[in-house]
Amino acid sequence: MTLPKGFGSGSAGGSSSADVERMIGKRVENMTGMITVSFWAAILATFGGTAAGYFYYPWAYPTASGHFAFIVLTIIITIGYIFCVKVMEEGSNKNSNGILAASVAGATAFCLFVSLFVGW
Amino acid sequence: MAQMPALIPKEVEIQRLKKVWLIVIAMGSTAASVEVDNFVDGSLHQTSIRDSAFTPAHWWLYSHFITLPLGWGAAAIYDRKIPVLRGPNNSMNTGLKMTILGYLATMFTIGVNEMWHFWFVEEIFAVPNHWMFNMGVVVAFMGALAYVVRVYARLVELGAETPGENPYVAEMYKMALEGKLYSRAIP
Repeated sequence: MTLPKGFGSGSAGGSSSADVERMIGKRVENMTGMITVSFWAAILATFGGTAAGYFYYPWAYPTASGHFAFIVLTIIITIGYIFCVKVMEEGSNKNSNGILAASVAGATAFCLFVSLFVGW
Repeated sequence: MAQMPALIPKEVEIQRLKKVWLIVIAMGSTAASVEVDNFVDGSLHQTSIRDSAFTPAHWWLYSHFITLPLGWGAAAIYDRKIPVLRGPNNSMNTGLKMTILGYLATMFTIGVNEMWHFWFVEEIFAVPNHWMFNMGVVVAFMGALAYVVRVYARLVELGAETPGENPYVAEMYKMALEGKLYSRAIP
């Protein structure tokens, strides 16, 4: 197969596995760490957003509403996180079920803690 | 389903399609969260007269009008590395064009909306300044569906995802791969 300019050995146009790896760059199955960090950033940002609501605008955004929003959003973000990790690792030898389970359990515990003890 | 010609190695294409897929899942989560915010915002507007554009429900709502166009713009930039997703005459994919135009309309409407609410301090859903929010989001969702189905159909064709068992779904994938999900004339 003819490769884009800059790849391959020259006029023959053949592609080696090294060329293919160079075109791929970071493989998606190795992005679990970055996805997990993004997941936690999204959870914390969502907590910050809802907390700003019930601490600064309690007349418009009561604590119960904020916690309701935070719980629903945590569920949505968690589903997205699970999809991301499972889809990126399918068909490879990578398996990050431990990281996935720990993150989801941690987010559940954090969400329960916030809902029960923060802002009341 | 006819195999589409490959211009880059299969392994590279699968990896690139999955990177687009990552962006799409992140934006899907954002869109789902905004569906929740529709209820939060609606409930706030039933109990409180608008005194400011910067209520928490509006921060949430308006942030997605900026996040999603930027996210789809990122998808459009990365999309150039995947030949099968190119639109007519090597332009941007038609689904992406529709999506970005739809969300640009909603970004523009934020300004229109604030001008309206400078004079009319209400939050009635059906007022004209809200129309383009709704139309923009619908156009964007239509384009996003066309694009996402095409990405998924290509992953199925390359053997990286499981094909749909429902014959209607399989037909939709086939049309999407040929760039004819919505129109047989405009790829």
